Amino acid sequence: MTNNSYLVLENGTLFPGVQNCGQDRAGEVVFNTGHSGYEEMATDPSYFKQILVMTAPMQGNYGVEGQVWESRKIWIEGFICLEIQKSQRDRSWIDLLEKNKIPILSEVDTRTLVLQLRDLGTCWGAIVTSSSPEAAKSKAFQLIKKSQQEEKDWVFCVSRNHVEEVKGRNPQGPKIAVLDFGCKENTLRHLLERCSSICVFPSRTSAQEIQAWKPDGLLLSNGPGDPEQVIKATDTVRSLIGTLPIFGICMGHQILALALGAKTYKLKYGHRGGNHPINDTLLKRVYVTSQNHGYAVDRQSLPTGTEVTHTNLNDGTVSGLANFNQLCFSVQFHPESRPGPHDAESLFDYFINYVKQFINKN
Amino acid sequence: MLNKSKLKKVVILGSGPIVIGQACEFDYSGTQACKALMQEGLEVILINSNPATIMTDPELATRIYIEPLQADFVAKILEKERPDAIIPTLGGQTALNLGLQLADSGILAKLGIEMLGANPDVIRAAEDREKFRSILDSVGAKYPKSEMVRTYEQGMSAADSLGFPLILRPNYTLGGGGGGVAYSMEEYQSKLAYALHESPTSEVLVEESILGWKEFELEVMRDKSGTFVVICSIENIDPCGVHTGDSITVAPQQTLSDYAYQDLRNEARKIIDAVGVETGGANIQFAVHPTTGERLVIEMNPRVSRSSALASKATGFPIAKIAALLAIGYKLDGLLNDITKTTPSCYEPALDYVVTKIPRFAFEKFPGTRDYLTTQMRSVGEVMGIGRTFKESLQKAVLSLEENARGLTEVTLDEGLIATPNSKRLYHIVQAFREGWSLDQVHQLTQITPWFLEQIKELPDFEQELREDYSKNSTLTYNSLLKAKRLGFSDSAIATVINGSAKDVEKIRQQLKIRPSYLQVDTCAGEFASQTPYYYSTYWSSSPQKNHSLPHSVVLLGSGPNRIGQGVEFDYSCVRSVRQFQKLGYKVAMVNSNPETVSTDYDTSDCLFFEPLTYEHISEIIQLIQPEGYVAQLGGQTPINLAAKLSDSGFNLLGSSLNTIDLAEDRAQFAKICHELDFKMPRAAMATSLEDGLNISAEIGFPLICRPSYVLGGRRMEIVEDEEELRQYFARHGSVITPKSPCLMDQFLERALEVDVDLVRGPDWLVIGGVMEHIEAAGVHSGDSMGVVPPQRLRPEILAKIEDLSSRLAHRLGVLGFLNLQLAVQQDQIYMLEANPRSSRSVPFISKATSIPIVDLGVKAIVGLNAAQVHPERYDWKNLVGVNVKGVVFPFKKFPDADSILGPEMKSTGESMGRGSSYEEAILKAFLSSHYTFPSSGEVFLSLRENDKQVLLPSIKELSSLGYTFSATNGTAKFLLSQSIDCEVIKKVHEGRPNCVDRIRSGEIAFVINTTSGRTSIEASAGIRRSCVDFSIPCLTESDAVEAFVLALKSFRAGHFEVSPLPKLL
Repeated sequence: MTNNSYLVLENGTLFPGVQNCGQDRAGEVVFNTGHSGYEEMATDPSYFKQILVMTAPMQGNYGVEGQVWESRKIWIEGFICLEIQKSQRDRSWIDLLEKNKIPILSEVDTRTLVLQLRDLGTCWGAIVTSSSPEAAKSKAFQLIKKSQQEEKDWVFCVSRNHVEEVKGRNPQGPKIAVLDFGCKENTLRHLLERCSSICVFPSRTSAQEIQAWKPDGLLLSNGPGDPEQVIKATDTVRSLIGTLPIFGICMGHQILALALGAKTYKLKYGHRGGNHPINDTLLKRVYVTSQNHGYAVDRQSLPTGTEVTHTNLNDGTVSGLANFNQLCFSVQFHPESRPGPHDAESLFDYFINYVKQFINKN
Repeated sequence: MLNKSKLKKVVILGSGPIVIGQACEFDYSGTQACKALMQEGLEVILINSNPATIMTDPELATRIYIEPLQADFVAKILEKERPDAIIPTLGGQTALNLGLQLADSGILAKLGIEMLGANPDVIRAAEDREKFRSILDSVGAKYPKSEMVRTYEQGMSAADSLGFPLILRPNYTLGGGGGGVAYSMEEYQSKLAYALHESPTSEVLVEESILGWKEFELEVMRDKSGTFVVICSIENIDPCGVHTGDSITVAPQQTLSDYAYQDLRNEARKIIDAVGVETGGANIQFAVHPTTGERLVIEMNPRVSRSSALASKATGFPIAKIAALLAIGYKLDGLLNDITKTTPSCYEPALDYVVTKIPRFAFEKFPGTRDYLTTQMRSVGEVMGIGRTFKESLQKAVLSLEENARGLTEVTLDEGLIATPNSKRLYHIVQAFREGWSLDQVHQLTQITPWFLEQIKELPDFEQELREDYSKNSTLTYNSLLKAKRLGFSDSAIATVINGSAKDVEKIRQQLKIRPSYLQVDTCAGEFASQTPYYYSTYWSSSPQKNHSLPHSVVLLGSGPNRIGQGVEFDYSCVRSVRQFQKLGYKVAMVNSNPETVSTDYDTSDCLFFEPLTYEHISEIIQLIQPEGYVAQLGGQTPINLAAKLSDSGFNLLGSSLNTIDLAEDRAQFAKICHELDFKMPRAAMATSLEDGLNISAEIGFPLICRPSYVLGGRRMEIVEDEEELRQYFARHGSVITPKSPCLMDQFLERALEVDVDLVRGPDWLVIGGVMEHIEAAGVHSGDSMGVVPPQRLRPEILAKIEDLSSRLAHRLGVLGFLNLQLAVQQDQIYMLEANPRSSRSVPFISKATSIPIVDLGVKAIVGLNAAQVHPERYDWKNLVGVNVKGVVFPFKKFPDADSILGPEMKSTGESMGRGSSYEEAILKAFLSSHYTFPSSGEVFLSLRENDKQVLLPSIKELSSLGYTFSATNGTAKFLLSQSIDCEVIKKVHEGRPNCVDRIRSGEIAFVINTTSGRTSIEASAGIRRSCVDFSIPCLTESDAVEAFVLALKSFRAGHFEVSPLPKLL
């Protein structure tokens, strides 16, 4: 435990804290307003290259559970909160991050930090321990620079590098291909429950390779970063559009939009939390969703034939779109939740039914 | 969409007098709803019998009926008003049950009135335990194994199959009333009989014990299109077995994983959908097994509740307001988030702080009652502390209790008080840790989730660390002081640890620039900008404090947690005053710690500080906003007690000066002034010891009233009849009688008529708000006696003299603002009993009775307006029309071992108001609203003290002529027979069986008249009164109350009554 530790933002602002474990690291600094679910968040590949700031002040309270992991590793570059559980009785959350060399910075004035991120917009930062604030800054700037120079296609960094086929639990269900942009486990769990088999493909897989598996439908998964930096996926999706039902989630939604000819843009400070209200015109309901994205689809850029089906009621941004002539639809939020409310789970049923209708028609 | 076009006039049902389990949180909900619906342009008709509330302020609704919340009265109002709809979901269980009754009676159908918020099917589905269980089955939710019991025999077989301990839950009762936990067959038998009696439908759910499980509550809202949101999750620190109203609770929940929490949320949604709650708020309580995670549903309320108030204050989401708007047809996504003003209401608040609620109890008021918590609610109020961490919020909440400035002080450790839930358990847990107990030891005894215990343990652990650090450095270091403040320790608490003074700690803290920051409660954890000025303090913020100074403002000190003696009446004064200050161009910063109130709604004042009412917290706020001054006259005794210290620190007290307060509060100075003005005072003296007391009693003579100095609501105050009793008094209370706080001994004015005067004095003017005559004679605490405006027995020349003397006293004291006087009249002599230089408990009642805007005038006086601006001549309280009677409500049912006799110590929790064209009508309504029943025939049991026999003879004859029969104890019977009144003799309790208590418990008695005095006879007759409380039989213990009751009884039998709306204030 070190006391000369800071979060340094790229504009030079310092937030002192106590570093409980891990190495100095840099990443995009983002905040999540969800109250619980730190373990799910840390293992969600969408947090690749990001330092996660929790607005809920007390973290680690209920330890770790293991079975709620959303992928096979921890992706965050750092974990920041006001108070972290580090008692003799249970310090499993700290231990887990420590084992993975992820820094935890606690006793940080997260409220001021969040207000600043809200005003500045998402920015880069680093968690560093150093003898003086000045030394901390220069160390941080180096780390940030280095990290920014690394691979820009974050999706490629987190995606599987080999094809993975898994048998589903519903023998009568369809065969669904998943294009893995950093897919959360719970999306796969939902599919496995409803499908006879699924096959997860790396992000740079070609359309032909996917078609060769003869899927009944395609799911485009969530994933980290800027959709415009993702190599090949947009082309792959573009050539599959119209040939089979496609459902996109989060990054998958953005890639689908790009493939349809729309544009994406970076939100000022993103949407991360479990309390975002959505108006869903497909299911004809208003409900609360789990969200985690820094980019969004530009409403004005949507081509004719593509309609907005879901709207974020907080700020009116596009939260889902559909082009049923082209057999595709997508949502910006996370119907698989984990963490967050389960209110949108039935979108998986909607997708599977849509696939079944398509099978029956042909 | 909105059926607004159809809806023009809506009736809202209030919740009536404050009782345990249904308190001023329903003033909060009713007030929010009235405001919201008025803003929608609807005509709002409010019905509530409680005059102490804001919601019955004539400006809050189109028309307000202060009438009994009973089907026949409400039906009359509905006939008269012909509303389009009625909302029964905002006035607690009272309004919900009443709504159901109205629906069943057919009047709603007959008049074409729609029920909004919940329909009878929904109410039954949630409230009828069998129906509710079948709904739970249908959605796959589990619940504790139980049996619905309708007879005693059924109950016995249920116990066989379920095993002990058992939980009893009577159907359709309030705050778990009549319920409890039974550990043994013997306990079970008596509790079962009582519970069957308490349930209006004679149904009791006997349930397997889930003691020790974790308890959670979700506050949810749903609109007609099915949009569902959880406003707040609440976790109880006390595991299952303690009523949630009596538990220390935390929001949001702290110890569930997201996985487990979402399961609760999903289940809540399914249940709400299945019950059919169409629109509005509801809550659901869950039990979760601490190790297996198994989840059970405990209960649900299809209405705005006590925890809705807490959830609203904890999150900033105005549940009652939104519930009212949903009821008239809005949808959640069509309403803006009131705090951010940019995002919609169909979201779930995100909290970047922790909230702790601690209930406030009044066990000390009910001698004989064990301080022991169970499934029946006993707390009379609550506080909420907001902090960035659990520890900060917990300690702020403890400070908010106003028990002492040091917070979790040292106590003499009592293991028994850790093992069983009670009001002092938290203190003993902390003490146990101080004395080296392990977490496991405490967990074994309490079953409290280890996470909480660990958090609590950090506090005494830090005390040790601080002590060591201090002795090492012989000063408070920056680091340790900052850590202490972040853990929520007050300056006084730190001073105690280091054996220093709070003043020194404050000085060092300010030198080290360790000052609180004020963060916003914004519903969204900072995600969106919010302009709503709702703040809490914390030492966890590093950002330079923003300039918060509020030009041309006042800091208004609220009244803190409700307690017996200081309740919603003071919130009324505070809230009403805000509007007046604002009208006069001031901005108001409100400081209060009570989540149940209207004053802690963020839109009541210009700026809300949800903070403990302690010198430290207020002083920081005053330094922050730089007001013109602070106001201490509106929040009851709490702010008055703080004034000296605040003014010593140089803060400007507005209105009456500290000197005026001292003149009124210091008995010696006050006695001198009364003497100057020719005011008589009861002979009085102060005793510091028993010897002293015996000498004094020889001078003053018996009977005496004894009380220790500095008490609120008459605590430990007793009437002492003779020397033996005086010795006993000192034996019982000697521990609090010291030379520094001597015992006050006053001459007791037997059979004197008592009056309350509320007046306001400005620099060159004075307005008498009204004079209320008490119905019971002096000796019953003014808060417990019924009262009438205008006086019925005072002769006009005495009344004139009272007004004159009161005015002269106000001038002499130099009052600027409010003055409340309690006087006694004995043989045309006027005695001064007490002067309170502040707004009083009687102000809202008198204001509503006389239409004099007492609070508004008080504010004008405080800011120094002169006669030319105020026009005092416009306000003559004697112009009032009709008669107004104040009724009183007691909590004796919740305290099974307490005596219900009235005395100088206040015991009532709430008041009602009866308005009528005659005294008889008004008094009847007051009795009805105070939940009295009027048996139209039957046997009256009498046990009278010698002095009352002659006095009560006319009333007894009256009863006889009405056809009532009599039974009495030996002495009383002899007297009646000597007066040729037929009467059966029944044994007293100590005379063998069957005795009078057996007779009452057998259900053969219509009502009881039992007057008594002297400690010995009071104790001997307690069983009579207790059995009446248990069986809801009227029991009159004062001769004047008997006369009033007989009057009301006659008026009830005549059956003529009218309803009328409250006139607007002048």
